[in-house]
Amino acid sequence: MNVQSKHTADATTAEESFAIQEEQAKFDSKAATDLAMQNTLLTPRFYTTDFDELDAINVDGIREEWDQLIDQMVADPNKGHFKKNEDWDHVDWENMDPELKKEFIDFLISSCTAEFSGCVLYKEMKRRGNNKDITQLFQLMARDEARHAGFINDALREAGVAVNLGFLTQKKKYTYFRPKFIYYATYLSEKIGYARYITIFRHLEAHPEHRFHPIFKWFHEWCNDEFSHGEAFALLMKTDPKLTSGKNVYWIKFFLTAVFATMYVRDHQRPAFHKALGVDPDWYAHEVFTKTSELTKQIFPITLDIDHPRWQSTLERLQRANVEIADAKAEGGIGGKLKEWAGSAKAALCFASLYTIPVKKHEVPAVTRLVPSY
Amino acid sequence: MGLLTKDIERAPCTVEISHCFESLHAHVRFNNGAVIYPGDEVKVEGPEIMAPFGEIVTEDREAVIVRASKLEQIWTRMTGDFEVMELCEFSFSEEVTL
Repeated sequence: MNVQSKHTADATTAEESFAIQEEQAKFDSKAATDLAMQNTLLTPRFYTTDFDELDAINVDGIREEWDQLIDQMVADPNKGHFKKNEDWDHVDWENMDPELKKEFIDFLISSCTAEFSGCVLYKEMKRRGNNKDITQLFQLMARDEARHAGFINDALREAGVAVNLGFLTQKKKYTYFRPKFIYYATYLSEKIGYARYITIFRHLEAHPEHRFHPIFKWFHEWCNDEFSHGEAFALLMKTDPKLTSGKNVYWIKFFLTAVFATMYVRDHQRPAFHKALGVDPDWYAHEVFTKTSELTKQIFPITLDIDHPRWQSTLERLQRANVEIADAKAEGGIGGKLKEWAGSAKAALCFASLYTIPVKKHEVPAVTRLVPSY
Repeated sequence: MGLLTKDIERAPCTVEISHCFESLHAHVRFNNGAVIYPGDEVKVEGPEIMAPFGEIVTEDREAVIVRASKLEQIWTRMTGDFEVMELCEFSFSEEVTL
């Protein structure tokens, strides 16, 4: 079911705006029990980490770069950006190709969950920490993520998808990540997020006929938030040179490989989405890897050799292994289980093959901070 | 905390759910200073809390904290790291074919 509800941004008077909001409030609480409306329970994960280690971070050595970044985040240049205006044109959900619609809604829901999980993680770090520099940073990042999630949620509402936040009354288990793994994973995720958003934005600037939904127009400012979050994690890593040297370089290589490979596999799961955007997922992956590698030179002493002859062909094999695993799971039974193991073994070998491609080494610059330039 | 036994605690808490255009978030704060450790399970008691669109709902509730046993805590600390990839924001879903 698709419900095209009117948005408050369409209202011409305050009274009309209130009336729309009231109508929407009724609609939403009704929607909670209305099975006809697709109801998606957000299921963020909950984490703990070594909060004492976070408290022990001392940014005095990089104070100048740190304060500049925090000041910029406090000034909140994107505050007014996530509002719908006349650029938010009408979306014809009714006539959207069903495959595209399915993949696009999946894209929106998973983006919303990712932003939301980021918000939960950052908020937890803010709340449990005692180091003022660190808690302030995480508070600012939680603010941005919640804002992005709200914006995507609104796009989902237009598509007739109600996001359910009732997960708190369900039992949830807290898992544990070491702080350094959080730095590597979230740093890369923010930087690759920037590269992904800006690549799509620039592509659609050149090919506006492929912009099938207005949300892509917001990607430019949006990705600048991702960019500054990445900057913050780069500075956090800079406070402790051990994090980016010695044995930890192997961890960095692991995270780079895992993040790139995961992105490649996931993107190939959405053929209709990429076709509608007029983007070849292989071109897109290479473009995003190139930009991300360039950016991560700010703090990582290595980059992956994505032009190595083994790189692309192994990613393709990994993608095929992943499809085999999924098919085997769907098949079930003993035969399915055996095929699943065979697929997993193939995937593991592919990953090992990617991981053992020699890296490119380079000098890390003395000044870390970058500005978005793509 | 026992090596294999789980303790159950109750803690008063405040839940804030924002279902606004400006911010979509949901947080629990324990009002007695309870601290969550790896492997613990938390459940907020009572009916599902729903915030209609455009509203922030704040409610005081009670949470049940099932403390992980010492062994489970060690296990979570050792193995939790394997799940770290889920922090990556590529807007992906678990489904291989949609």
